[in-house]
Amino acid sequence: MSALVLESRQRRDRIGLKGPRAAQWLIANGIASPPEPNTWMLCGENPGSDALLVARLGATEFFLEDGAAGMKLKDIAPDLDENPPGVYPVLREDFALSLGGARVHDVLAQVCNVNFSALSLEARPLIMTLMIGVSVLVVPQGAAAERQYRIWCDPTFGPYLGESLGAVVIECGGRYTGACG
Amino acid sequence: MMHRLDVQPGECLDRRQVLNFSFEGRNYQGYAGDTLSSALAAAGVAYLARSFKYHRPRGILSFANHDSNTLLQVDGVPNVRGDVTLLREGMRVSAINTFGGLAHDKARVLDRFARLLPVGFYYKAFHSKRLFAVWERMFRALTGLGEVNLGAAREATPKRYGFCDVLVIGAGPSGLSAALAAAENGAQVALVDESLTPAGNGAPAALLDAVHASNAITHFPATVAAGYYADHWVALASATHMTKMRAKAVVFATGVIAQPAVFRNNDLPGVMLAAGAARLLAHYGVAPGRRVVFIAANLEAYLHCLEFHARGVPIAAIVELRAAPDDHAAVTACAAAGISVLPAHAPYEAICGPDGAVAALLVAPLNVAGQIDAGATRRLECDAILMSVGWAAAAQLFLQAGGSTRFLDALQQFVPQELPSGIFAAGRLNGVYDIDARLADGRRAGSQAAAHAGFGAPSSAVIARSKRCPSHPFPIIDHPRGKNFVDFDEDLQVKDLENAAQEGFDSSELLKRYSTVGMGPSQGKHSNMNALRILARYRGIGVEALGLTTSRPMYHPVPMKLLAGRSFYPERRTPVDAQHAAWGAVWMAAGNWRRPEYYAVSGESRAESIDAEVHAVRGAVGIIDVGTLGKIEVHGPDAAELLDRVYAGRYSDLKVGMTRYGLMLDESGVIIDDGVIARLGEQLFYFTTTTGGSATVFRELLRLNALWGLDCALMNVTGHRAAFNFAGPFSREILQGLTDIDLRDEAFPYLAVRSGKVAGTAVRLMRVGFVGELGYEIHMAAGNAVEVWQALCASGKPKGLRPFGVEAQRVLRLEKGHFIVGQDTDGLTDPYEANAMWAVAMKKPFFVGQRSLRILQARGPRQKLMGIELAAATPLPKECHLVIEQDAIAGRVTSVTHSRTLNRSIGLAMLSPALAEIGRDIRIRVDDGAMLAARVVAAPFYDPKNLRQRVDFRS
Repeated sequence: MSALVLESRQRRDRIGLKGPRAAQWLIANGIASPPEPNTWMLCGENPGSDALLVARLGATEFFLEDGAAGMKLKDIAPDLDENPPGVYPVLREDFALSLGGARVHDVLAQVCNVNFSALSLEARPLIMTLMIGVSVLVVPQGAAAERQYRIWCDPTFGPYLGESLGAVVIECGGRYTGACG
Repeated sequence: MMHRLDVQPGECLDRRQVLNFSFEGRNYQGYAGDTLSSALAAAGVAYLARSFKYHRPRGILSFANHDSNTLLQVDGVPNVRGDVTLLREGMRVSAINTFGGLAHDKARVLDRFARLLPVGFYYKAFHSKRLFAVWERMFRALTGLGEVNLGAAREATPKRYGFCDVLVIGAGPSGLSAALAAAENGAQVALVDESLTPAGNGAPAALLDAVHASNAITHFPATVAAGYYADHWVALASATHMTKMRAKAVVFATGVIAQPAVFRNNDLPGVMLAAGAARLLAHYGVAPGRRVVFIAANLEAYLHCLEFHARGVPIAAIVELRAAPDDHAAVTACAAAGISVLPAHAPYEAICGPDGAVAALLVAPLNVAGQIDAGATRRLECDAILMSVGWAAAAQLFLQAGGSTRFLDALQQFVPQELPSGIFAAGRLNGVYDIDARLADGRRAGSQAAAHAGFGAPSSAVIARSKRCPSHPFPIIDHPRGKNFVDFDEDLQVKDLENAAQEGFDSSELLKRYSTVGMGPSQGKHSNMNALRILARYRGIGVEALGLTTSRPMYHPVPMKLLAGRSFYPERRTPVDAQHAAWGAVWMAAGNWRRPEYYAVSGESRAESIDAEVHAVRGAVGIIDVGTLGKIEVHGPDAAELLDRVYAGRYSDLKVGMTRYGLMLDESGVIIDDGVIARLGEQLFYFTTTTGGSATVFRELLRLNALWGLDCALMNVTGHRAAFNFAGPFSREILQGLTDIDLRDEAFPYLAVRSGKVAGTAVRLMRVGFVGELGYEIHMAAGNAVEVWQALCASGKPKGLRPFGVEAQRVLRLEKGHFIVGQDTDGLTDPYEANAMWAVAMKKPFFVGQRSLRILQARGPRQKLMGIELAAATPLPKECHLVIEQDAIAGRVTSVTHSRTLNRSIGLAMLSPALAEIGRDIRIRVDDGAMLAARVVAAPFYDPKNLRQRVDFRS
């Protein structure tokens, strides 16, 4: 199992969408979206790689983050400037983290009351919960032995969440690294 | 005298490792594996503490971490529990609650004045207003356990969340059996037990082995299940950390707690619960004395007696409260061993020896009615008295979980009656005492709990309760001279509880609160049952008619450090936090935000820096980070309709490109928030809320939007957008150099909003004037905030720019007479009282609070927010100091400051209508009782015609 690492991932573009026609707008722009709320999927030529992430936060609410490869948000965002009816863009300047490796569940058990180790990843669950007092979105990825958790929060809580999680990670024998893209 | 025996089979000690420690300044030795209590007992230290009220000497009572007698101060840490704290090399231990040490405690004189300290003494003392302060000082000096070391280093005590299918609380025979049954059904089990020593309590070795071999059972030894919360969430407290365990089902195998007999001097060192003495003997090889008397009312007394006898501890006699002991082999064995049994006898008085511990026991015969013949006492020489007279159900957690109990006369015990979903009880808690039955009851409960969690089929076994009664119905002996203690924590005697009942506090809940029975560190573990019996006797009713009180979490004391955990403090920082630091920000907490109070400059005092920041805004230009304001967007065809309904003003007629002040009321017409609402498009509004109100306002708007079914969507972008207020006479000139937006008055009038770029970054620019100068609020994506801040600062610096903090803003807005919701208003302030009806459109068909405002208009204001000016520049009153008129409260100061701009001290005050007249003189009472003179004046104090916000300044 890989070493326990908490990484800051601030450099990716993100956007939110709300509105009764948000789902149709995504389809019209060639972006497949998860059919169920509180689930996520990767979109692009090679699903499973580090591609555009599309998370469905509710019936009419979405969160998108660029991947390293494939479709980019900057290519589709200009469409939103034309104010398509029923589609409301949401500014997302989230603070983003990635947590994974040995003892990852030891860390999570100290900061959140969700039983992450019991989650089934087949359903691609998206968790909206509180982590040490901060509202977060959590996307678990990877196989059980190499489970990775993507975590997003309000940017103003970012330094606190990163420093606090980082302290727990280091105490558990891991390391906290800065931005890695 | 307590003393160490030779090596005992199964003891927990490593006698090869000797540990040195000190107690009350004297040096002692113990062994590795000893607890503090066992080491002190083995060293022959009879008493370890002074009691709470009378400062009577106290020794080991339960040896189960259930009583307060063995709370100790260890290496500067107060209230360490001696029964369960392992001895370490070099420990420095002392007693708590003494004045001058344990042996020479000056407060021991209080024991002689017990008659002057009746039940309810605190309440009675504080009844007199005149002497309130005297009593308060005295109580504060005398009370409290242990000394807090304020210089102690912070200990990391991380909390963690745990998850299991079945949580079993208690690792006695029934708990072990339940855990194994649940695990065998496929459940993941957490097994918790408070014991420091190996669990089992008489369970078969094979069962213990099977439990330890099971991979499905996680053990939590030396851990107390201290509190039960909704949905099977249980707080597990160990010595080092708290685990918040979420279970699908919970088995309560919490057992029973040994109860003391109540007789005169039953608190002397040397009087112990037999079960505790037996643990001390078995696990630590400590004999409780050299000549022991048992007080018996159940079979367990005889079983313990045989254990002591077998290990060579001399038994003086067994004083049997019942007419005859059980018909059992253990009783026969005691007789065969030559141990004297005195049936139908009761302890009348423990005699104190010169060392302050037990020297003898006076016993007296009981007649058939259970009454004592005090004229026929006899003296039994002894140095230890061991009590085994009954048990009380350890039902505290079970009751917290919503279970109910009923009292069984046949067992003299409360047993579970109704069990909430997912809650199961097993073993002695259920009134099942025989070992085989306890094992079977555990299997039943474990199986049912596992089935509830979705594993296997539930057992349908029915386990019969014990036929013999393990508890005496009234192990309480009256004595004309009292000192027969019911509650050892609180020094409560029998007469105290009777007197409380006589004074009318004759229900279990009232008795508890008035007498404080069960409110000490033991939380009634040894006192509640006997207190109920005394109350029942007084009222002539059965115990079942009184019922148990429910302990609140934590029912067992838990160190504060475990509750604190890592002390996470969610703190918000704006994107330009580092820039603030570079300017010398002195931080303050504003809600959960970290904000600059002011910016320290070398050579300036705090007041001088704040003054300079104010001066920069009034005379040149200043910049403040207002990113903490709530920021919400509403999109959609019904966006204006939503705002019309939730704000008191009208927004459906607001032109695109303009802003308007917004006042939010609750249903009762009270002001709850305010902000600025900007219309960016026909179907797009962007508005601010107060710093503290953003989350609440957003949630309420979501709720109302869902309730009304409007076609619009809300987004809380508070953290995703940064915002600065750039204000001062030079603000336009500087900003124009950085933006493509035309800032000329005719193109960008006061209260307008524009979108464009500043320093190459997309922004929303609002021309508003909270600080009373020409100024702009600049809103941008959080990720671009640093470059905009730096550009503004760089361009402004040659013009005398200073960043200003919360304190300078406070002065600036007060000079303008602007109120702050929550500071100048309170939970009852309506717009009439705050002079804010200008922001209310009463002619709208509907808005939240409108109906109440109509009623309030008819009633007239109860108070008015008015400007005040102090007669003298100093001293200043504080916010919330009271306005006094004819010796009555007639208002309060809500904001106050000294304005160097105006060269006078000004403020806002909420005044009774009679005082709310311009020119009226008022008096303000300050901390030392002095009265300050002030006058009601018109606000704003500065630039009342708002010319500064419109005038075109040029450098």
